[in-house]
Amino acid sequence: MANALEFESPITKRYPSGGSRDLALSDESSQTKTLVRAADDSAAASQLGVAFGGSRHQAGVHIIGQRPTEWLLVGDESAAAAMVVGLDRTGHVSVIDHTHARALLRLTGERSADVLSKICNVDFGDHMTPDGSALSASVAKVGCDITRDDASGIRSYRIACDRSFAQYLFDAILDAGREFSLTAVGA
Amino acid sequence: MSNSMRLPAQPGEVIDRSRRIDIKWNGKKLSGFDGDTIASALVANEVRVVSRSMKYHRPRGYLTADFWDPNGFVQVGDDPNVRSGHRLIEKGMTVDPQNVWPSLDYDVKAANGLVGRFLTAGFYYKTFIKPQRLWPVYEKVLARFAPGGVVDLDTPHGLYDKRYAHPDVVVAGGGPAGMAAAIAAAEAGSKVMLVEHEHHLGGHLLWGSAEDRALAAELTAAVETAGVEVLLNSTVTGRYEDNWVAIAQRSHPQAIERLVKARAKMLVVAPGLIERPYVFAGNDKPGVMLSGAVRRMVNMYAAKPGSRAVVFTGNGDGDAAASDLERAGIEVARIVDARNGENILAAHGPAKSMDSVELADGTKVEADLLVTAVGWTAPTSLLNMAGDRPSYDANAARFFPNSPIDHVLSTGGIAGDGSHEELIEHAVATGRLAAARAAAIGHRLQAATRRAASVDGEAPAFAADDRPILPRDPHPELFRSTTHGIVDYSEDVGSKDLMAAAAEGYDSVELLKRFTTATMGPSQGKLETVNTVAVLGEARGETIEEVGTTVWRPPYAPITLGALGGRIHEPARVSSIQPWHEANGVTPILAGAWIRPEHYGNPESEVRNTRANVGITDVTPLGKLDLQGPDVPKLLSQLYTNKWMQLPVGSVRYGIMCAEDGVVLDDGVTGRLGDEHYLMTTTSSGAASIWEWAENWLQTEHPDWKVHVTPVTTGLTSINVAGPKSRELVSRLVAHAGDGAIDLDGEAFKYMQVRQGTIAGVPNCIMWRIGFTGELSFELHVPSGHGLHVWEALLEAGKDLGVRAFGLEAQRIMRLEKGHFIVGQDTDGLTKAPSTGMTSLIKLDKEDFAGKAELAWAMDTPLPVVVGIQTVDPLIVPAEASQIVREGTNEILGRITSSRMSPTLRRSVCLGQVAPESAAAGTELTVVLTTGERIKARVMEHHAHFDPEGARLRG
Repeated sequence: MANALEFESPITKRYPSGGSRDLALSDESSQTKTLVRAADDSAAASQLGVAFGGSRHQAGVHIIGQRPTEWLLVGDESAAAAMVVGLDRTGHVSVIDHTHARALLRLTGERSADVLSKICNVDFGDHMTPDGSALSASVAKVGCDITRDDASGIRSYRIACDRSFAQYLFDAILDAGREFSLTAVGA
Repeated sequence: MSNSMRLPAQPGEVIDRSRRIDIKWNGKKLSGFDGDTIASALVANEVRVVSRSMKYHRPRGYLTADFWDPNGFVQVGDDPNVRSGHRLIEKGMTVDPQNVWPSLDYDVKAANGLVGRFLTAGFYYKTFIKPQRLWPVYEKVLARFAPGGVVDLDTPHGLYDKRYAHPDVVVAGGGPAGMAAAIAAAEAGSKVMLVEHEHHLGGHLLWGSAEDRALAAELTAAVETAGVEVLLNSTVTGRYEDNWVAIAQRSHPQAIERLVKARAKMLVVAPGLIERPYVFAGNDKPGVMLSGAVRRMVNMYAAKPGSRAVVFTGNGDGDAAASDLERAGIEVARIVDARNGENILAAHGPAKSMDSVELADGTKVEADLLVTAVGWTAPTSLLNMAGDRPSYDANAARFFPNSPIDHVLSTGGIAGDGSHEELIEHAVATGRLAAARAAAIGHRLQAATRRAASVDGEAPAFAADDRPILPRDPHPELFRSTTHGIVDYSEDVGSKDLMAAAAEGYDSVELLKRFTTATMGPSQGKLETVNTVAVLGEARGETIEEVGTTVWRPPYAPITLGALGGRIHEPARVSSIQPWHEANGVTPILAGAWIRPEHYGNPESEVRNTRANVGITDVTPLGKLDLQGPDVPKLLSQLYTNKWMQLPVGSVRYGIMCAEDGVVLDDGVTGRLGDEHYLMTTTSSGAASIWEWAENWLQTEHPDWKVHVTPVTTGLTSINVAGPKSRELVSRLVAHAGDGAIDLDGEAFKYMQVRQGTIAGVPNCIMWRIGFTGELSFELHVPSGHGLHVWEALLEAGKDLGVRAFGLEAQRIMRLEKGHFIVGQDTDGLTKAPSTGMTSLIKLDKEDFAGKAELAWAMDTPLPVVVGIQTVDPLIVPAEASQIVREGTNEILGRITSSRMSPTLRRSVCLGQVAPESAAAGTELTVVLTTGERIKARVMEHHAHFDPEGARLRG
């Protein structure tokens, strides 16, 4: 039986360990994810400090402007909670725990854009999708929110989708990355 | 067979003689070298006949010996219709002729040729049209004559791939002009994709002189240095709106083929020119070849296409072919120069070869090879697709691009003639222009896209086209001799057929094409279009310009269905409990994208256990929307037909949603979790559409309402706990005191109420008391990261209570026993809300709601009604969709919408829609079974067959 309060990953298959980490796909679904909905001209929006299409990091939380009037805060539980507590709720502001609703995958490696370009019709070139940019698109026919979040100068993407699609999407990305030797890490 | 027609090493050959490759042709072993095409390997092994023509089954040899060769289609293993002029040989390859019986040498279907004069164009249309009832017979016979190879339906699905690309510039064609344009564009800062149809860059330079080959090597090296992405053995198959360019890549290291969908800012069209055949008697005999084919065979593959040649030439390529043949030691018996007014009349010889050429001056020259060089077709397809209508230049005897297109430029032979230097200069200017325009487009795109890197200043102006103009070399118009011959080799259509069709009235080029099928074969008109137009011009006594031409549409070259399908992506959704389902013998069912448990072996047993003890079922796919804001009641009142302004916190209410036409859209319950916080459930299939429906009302009609609608369907794993022991089971897992405690007492937590708390140690769970199965039920909505834990905890805690999982089928049976209708099954696209019998939920005294105006009418109008139905014979279960008819007639009164054998009642139970006059309780109905048998059934007083008072679910 699964243990109470231990987060159950939506990626339930097991993958061979080892292989190159130059291009890796990992599951970050256990990260706390909080959806904030507020008007673009609200105090909350000013606090979050990033507009639709962009993202930034603050106090251990990745603040993603994933849609107009909609932000996703990703981080560990305490950091995310601290940010939510400090959020100015003036006006019509909704805060929804999305930790369980959205799966979060991370694709890292110099060729990660090549992998995505096999299953997503978005220009992932630096001009159109620079580090920090956020967008919504179909990935292997699943509606996803994609955020470019380079790690130590290495190209990296966070891909969020409905939890129920996560296993399918994980496998679809791995399939797309076969020709680039994409490896599943930690799953 | 051994390479008896293989020439000594040629300076420009692309074969690797150190790597011999054995293949099988037509059951016999032969060998070639790495780099050989199937065609060059066959020619080097003295194979002259490789196919039979489509209709008359005439023996055919290579004509163009490249991708476009209409005579070169073969079967390779289980792969039909392979272009042998293009496909490279591989070790162990089995190559066979196709559409021959019993063999390539003795093909019985060649008898068609004996009755050829009765099989002219339009023969099929005229002959097989009557009597219509015989068409199935005709079809079977005609299928035996259909061309093409054999498809093995057991062939495993191969790996086909897809990729999206966003290059600044796509260059279609890797000849000298295409390469020069690509290099220039890349050097000007563009991201360039260069697509070449063949296996090597270089185009016609590859079979040209030493200087030509040196230029090809120089340009190829520069392409690499410039960082151009090169796709070899790939074809730009189409150009669509906004420069959406489709590329079929046949050179992927893992996939059989890959479709590249490129959104190019600029497209440069540089496909070169395609050599045109000449129409004369015997022009399809094995041994008649175009000059380019001969030069490729000799110079690139060191294969000897014949022993004694006649060369009919109207241009420098024909002259060069004659020189190449002589240099390779092949006797050139006669050069017939069209520029001096000389002409050929016919190729003669036995069926499978030629032995002489008849000239216009009456002489006959012995030869087994006739080389023709009569001009070129400009493959303007991609320009056509971009909107251009090329125009004919009689002086140059070919078509040229006509009107400038902002995002599509052409260069190379398609744009004009000239020296290498002139053509390269034009191509470089084209590449630079493409790069400049791509930069301007890119600037605008970046400035208009929020997420893009910021750009400074105004977008650069769209660069003007100041490229040099290429000259057009004069060329004699050489289309048909004074004799008749084949025009479309793929379709076996001759010049006589075309003239006959024109005489019958099919004298517009578009009609002629469709009537005769000329230009509609796998060569896609590349070889035939201009000759077809020229012959029609002859028939009409008009010039080519006056006749006009057909429009080339995508694809530029045929593309496999595999490539179009690409990698198959079929998203599948699963709940967090899926691992348990799989480990416990589930039979899954696909419901939309969801993989759901249909049952675990015996759905009837699952029903009985739930009615007697307690069952749990995974209902995660139920649509769930989080609603927050002070105006949520207004939104609910707008969406549902009943009232919502006074729903107390902690209560749940059922409602029906209608479209503006009063037709039932969805149904479900919504519970109030807090002052301004609600949770709505929809049907599983309605989850997305109801979210959009709600947003539509908020964004278009009531933007002033403060409501946030957020889908949380998969954030909450939903488990229905049903059965007389469900309260006992759930009580063992809820907290009874402190934060998160829930009091399950029937008075404290009544039917249609909602509570929030901790279940099995998991906080923030939502629980409501509703009952789709008709049993005492608790629907748990658990954060999905702990859904499996709660599910397993329920099974563990309820062992002594007899808890078992039940699937969708058991749930459907129980809801039918209880008479709950399902939107989309018991209703359809015409079912208005009053038809469901839920008239008490339609509140016309509300200020407004979706569908109100229509429902006001419908409430007073006799409409079909959803009713409970039982068959008189309790053991007969009419199939769903069985028709209900008026006794003694075929007049349809309704249909059975749901039916099952009830394990609880041990009899058949149904819901159905019937005409209003037949809806009264006790009405006897006639139901037509799928066997045609008619049985009796009765309308019941209630929808519910079981516990109509609802005592169990309120228990």
